[in-house]
Amino acid sequence: MNNACLIYEDTFISLLNLIAYLVQSKIKPANIKNTKYSPTLLDNIIKLEIEENENIVKTMIESIGNAPFRLMYLVFLSTVENKELILYYFYLNALKYKEKIFYHRNLKCVDKAIKIANYVSHESHKYKGFVRFKDLKNHILYAEIEPANDILEIITPHFKTRLKNEYWIIKDVKRKIVAIYDKKKVFFCLEEEFTLKTTLESQTEMEFSELWKIFYKTIGIKDRKNERCRMNFMPKRFWKYMKELEDEL
Amino acid sequence: MELKEKLKILADSAKYDASCSSSGSKRKSNGGLGNTAFSGICHSFASDGRCISLLKILMTNCCIFDCKYCLNRKSNEIKRAIFTPEEVCTITFNFYRRNYIEGLFLSSGIIKSPNYTMELMIKTITLLRKKYHFGGYIHAKAIPGSSEKLLKELGLLVDRLSANVELPTDSGLKLLAPNKEAKKVETIMKYVKENRTKHFVPAGQSTQMIIGATKERDLDILNKSASMYKNHQLKRVFYSAYVPVNQDSLLPALERPPLKRENRLYQADWLLRFYNFKVSDLLDENNPNFNILIDPKADYALRHLEEFPKEVNTCPYYELLKVPGIGVKSAKRILKARQVFKLTFGDLKKLGVVIKRAKYFITCNHKYFIDSKLFQKDFIESNLVLEEKNPRKKTYEQLRLFNE
Repeated sequence: MNNACLIYEDTFISLLNLIAYLVQSKIKPANIKNTKYSPTLLDNIIKLEIEENENIVKTMIESIGNAPFRLMYLVFLSTVENKELILYYFYLNALKYKEKIFYHRNLKCVDKAIKIANYVSHESHKYKGFVRFKDLKNHILYAEIEPANDILEIITPHFKTRLKNEYWIIKDVKRKIVAIYDKKKVFFCLEEEFTLKTTLESQTEMEFSELWKIFYKTIGIKDRKNERCRMNFMPKRFWKYMKELEDEL
Repeated sequence: MELKEKLKILADSAKYDASCSSSGSKRKSNGGLGNTAFSGICHSFASDGRCISLLKILMTNCCIFDCKYCLNRKSNEIKRAIFTPEEVCTITFNFYRRNYIEGLFLSSGIIKSPNYTMELMIKTITLLRKKYHFGGYIHAKAIPGSSEKLLKELGLLVDRLSANVELPTDSGLKLLAPNKEAKKVETIMKYVKENRTKHFVPAGQSTQMIIGATKERDLDILNKSASMYKNHQLKRVFYSAYVPVNQDSLLPALERPPLKRENRLYQADWLLRFYNFKVSDLLDENNPNFNILIDPKADYALRHLEEFPKEVNTCPYYELLKVPGIGVKSAKRILKARQVFKLTFGDLKKLGVVIKRAKYFITCNHKYFIDSKLFQKDFIESNLVLEEKNPRKKTYEQLRLFNE
């Protein structure tokens, strides 16, 4: 069984179950991949039938602590290749060091996991500011995003409290997932499971997005123009859905 | 006048205020629209690289004052405009709903009298909070000379209330802003400090100083900042490089704003607030201005080489903070990491230390990064200066000029 490439069912829970099983049965994986992985000839692919433990999240938090577990989730949301293997080794060490795992930056899996998690949480913080809603004819607020990491789920609580009395929809264009808020709860569904009745904009949408563009152009001080600084804080990959930048793209 | 034109005029005249922060408040949603994020959120970045988090506007750019450096001074012939309270509310509300902004920054030229101006601002913000049920961040500028009653009223509505000292010395203020009195700004700061609660100005106060419009030295500016941090518990002092918007015999004729100097002051400001430095560590009468070539911390280290190199595996926290290239975050990481293993230069890199700067001032397990005979001022200084003049940065700027 050692040196096999193991497959999990694409969800965080499934990955956790697999990792817990591997650790328990002392199996050292060569790699861990999701079902979309296309194997090479050299891979020894194995898909285990593991009984899913419903309380895996609770069990894991109890065994390694809150903060390390939270970090594992953030790493899972990234698109880093081999993130599963990093998580496996991180968990193995976290069992030993618990919350003090963060001190062990000389371990490669810890260093990498922390860096990836920072990247993910950094991006999700950026998106709290960079999401741009359009007011549709039926007064639903609609936004599209294309984040590098799968951060849609972790930014929704922020918008849920902030825009509590609004209907809103945020769509991750690349992953084809939609988050829908109905003034009570946030739902997630796949793009094809859902159609918008209207994508027409409300009467005032044009007026306010124009005002916003005017404000944006006016507020920059010409004598201090600094393209490098702007790019550092707001790289071009964010620009696509930001109204104020459409003329500069 | 069309709303578009008003916004253009009143955003244009507000843009020289450097304050942009939206942090420090824990306002919960009041059943209406919006809340505040304690960490603050940047919603966009302007062409000058500064963050946009608040809708930064003036109530009006009409002003009875004639401050020499200000675009809106009485004697300037520019287009004047005034927002109605309802207009400010609709724009704020609609921008916020679309997630363009984190809230409102409202300042104003002085129309009729300080009290009249404050009343107008209070009316606007009351409308926004009560009728629009707006729970987002609001930063208002208090108008010097207005009554205490109005200060109290405004403070209960906003997250941050502040007043700008503009110039660090009284003589500078007399010269360029004859209608302003430093005492009145002082009164506002004192009042806000003494009355601050969870409901009154929860995010605290800040202020701004203009850099390079008068003859003040960096030492004067920094002393003023230090005294304000101490006496009025300011959250931030902003430094705004003077942009020549007016022609006046009293103003310096600058080609471009003194941005590098502004940058040095911000670096020093951070050293005062988070690194336990004192003004006297950085500047003194013989050395009253910052070195433009080297940042204040490296400059300090070079003048106090006898304190270095420091051993990262044993040196205490505040000593670590004195090392150029080690910041608050990386110093804290070092403290944790060295409990469990002995750090090497390679590990420091992982912890986020800027090795190319720090390596001259530290030892790892009592080893210097090269022959320790080279631990000499001239050697380190020349290397650091070259580091700051990174050739990659230059090419980029040249390319951009070429394209234009």
